[in-house]
Amino acid sequence: MKTKKIIGYIGLYFLLAVMLLITLFPIYWVLVTAIKPNAEMYNIIPNFWPENPTFAHLSTLFGKYKFAAGIKNSLIVSIVVSAVTIVFSFLAAYALARLKFRGRGGVLRGILYAYLVPKAVLFIPLYMMVSSLGIANTLGSLILIYPTFTIPYATWMLVSYLKSIPVSLEEAAIIDGCNRWQSMLKIVLPLSMPGVVSTLIISFTLCWNEYLYAMVMIHDKAAKTMPLLLSEMIVGDVFAWGPLMAGAAVASIPILILYLFGSSKMVGGLTTGGVKG
Amino acid sequence: MFPIKLIASKKTKSYFLGKNQNKFAYTLLAPTLIFLALLMIYPLCWTVGMSFTDKRVGLDATFNGLANYITLLKDPIFLKTIVNTLIYTACAVVLKIVLGMVMALVLNSKRLRARSLMRSLLYLPWALPTLVSIYAWKWMFSDVGGAINFILQKLGFINQQIGWFSTVTLAMISVVIVNVWRGTPFLGISILSGLQTVNQDMYEAASIDGANAWRQFWSITLPQVKNVVLLASIITTIWTLNDFEIIWLLTRGGPDNGTQVFSTLSYTYGFLNRDLGLSVAISVFTLPVLIFLVGIAAKKSMSDSAE
Repeated sequence: MKTKKIIGYIGLYFLLAVMLLITLFPIYWVLVTAIKPNAEMYNIIPNFWPENPTFAHLSTLFGKYKFAAGIKNSLIVSIVVSAVTIVFSFLAAYALARLKFRGRGGVLRGILYAYLVPKAVLFIPLYMMVSSLGIANTLGSLILIYPTFTIPYATWMLVSYLKSIPVSLEEAAIIDGCNRWQSMLKIVLPLSMPGVVSTLIISFTLCWNEYLYAMVMIHDKAAKTMPLLLSEMIVGDVFAWGPLMAGAAVASIPILILYLFGSSKMVGGLTTGGVKG
Repeated sequence: MFPIKLIASKKTKSYFLGKNQNKFAYTLLAPTLIFLALLMIYPLCWTVGMSFTDKRVGLDATFNGLANYITLLKDPIFLKTIVNTLIYTACAVVLKIVLGMVMALVLNSKRLRARSLMRSLLYLPWALPTLVSIYAWKWMFSDVGGAINFILQKLGFINQQIGWFSTVTLAMISVVIVNVWRGTPFLGISILSGLQTVNQDMYEAASIDGANAWRQFWSITLPQVKNVVLLASIITTIWTLNDFEIIWLLTRGGPDNGTQVFSTLSYTYGFLNRDLGLSVAISVFTLPVLIFLVGIAAKKSMSDSAE
């Protein structure tokens, strides 16, 4: 029995070690490359630890590649879209989680369909729509389009979160004379802050990471978002791996901060709320 | 679910029942529904309509019936794309389910220490920007200075540099690896959330009855997380079927269209060859499969939410 237990421990930690290695090595490799001087970059035997760490790639990134402009654009789009999303989605989710009305099941199903419609199906019609509105090449086009993937997701998440808030609190408020709007905004909204915050984080992440729509809609240098600038560091077969990896590291920082901040809530996504095991 | 019976006073009752509530609900839903109608339903209908025309960038569209679909079915590249998409999706999804299950079981183990730290670390590939993971792997796969060739050589698996994107098979393996690396945490965390609801007493009873760990997994764990696994698998299948970034940025669908999938072919025909009608016809081809899969996902997840 005891040997069996030990074998179990060894097996468990062996699996864990393998998974951690495979998960973390690429991330480690990004960070190492970001500070590795070009002279060490293409050695036959790669350096797993840079001998002469350098910030040269970071300064190329912000100098030659003007990465700060991309970050600014990405921040604007991600923040505006997340803010709009949370307003739309909270109202919709409240209705879906708390109110009984005709067509509720259909709307709920529609939200799920909307969440799962792939970008690959929508990018051409959306591109044509944006061009005919005359807002192609602007951040506005992304701000208009990104809620197509953030709103369905956020609504779905918030519906399951709102259901976890006891109805009795609202009943009490209504008996005390609150109307439905007041009870929604003054009772339910404060209580659902953890759900709202993690939904905001995920919406922000989805916008921050988005590439396909941005690539299709934006061709003006001035309006390019961070992922576009990253992808443009590859010109033909010439790869500027140093600055590219420095950019990858910088691009990951906001996401890592947000996830650290909200990591206890970052579980599961869609399936957490949608299904009973 | 709804507090109708719990509320005694007539005044509050009207807030939960009757016409008032329809109106209030539609008011709250209006912004979202109008937005989704304008930016999702309308474009989708447009897509279907445009697939029956010869629309090209900058030119007017004329109705041409099924011409685009016939062109596609006669197009050897499109037929190859169907096969590639199926291979890519099948390999990646199966690997993600298996590895996600392993990840969930490890994270759920009672013996594991620092569980939440481990969970956060293993979740990283899913949280990082897609482009970061794609370029990290592209750089590791590189034949000059790349880490993977070096490590494999050191371990004795290969004896010369491999051009990871140079042959069809290797290119397919590479894009699948990146997709699996990135997508496994979604499965793992989803399954973990299911595992956490499994009744622990059953394991005790089973081990008293002499069932070994493998038997317990098949007879107790799997049946109880079946729904979560199924739902997460369907969602991940939908995403993988329509994956664009990984393939576009790693191989551009090459070599020789060997990793061309629906989304990359649709982009190539639409934006590089400027043939929008043909390009959206590819999307429309994928819609029946998509609707079928979303239908199952909806049924699975609504059994809880729509009561």
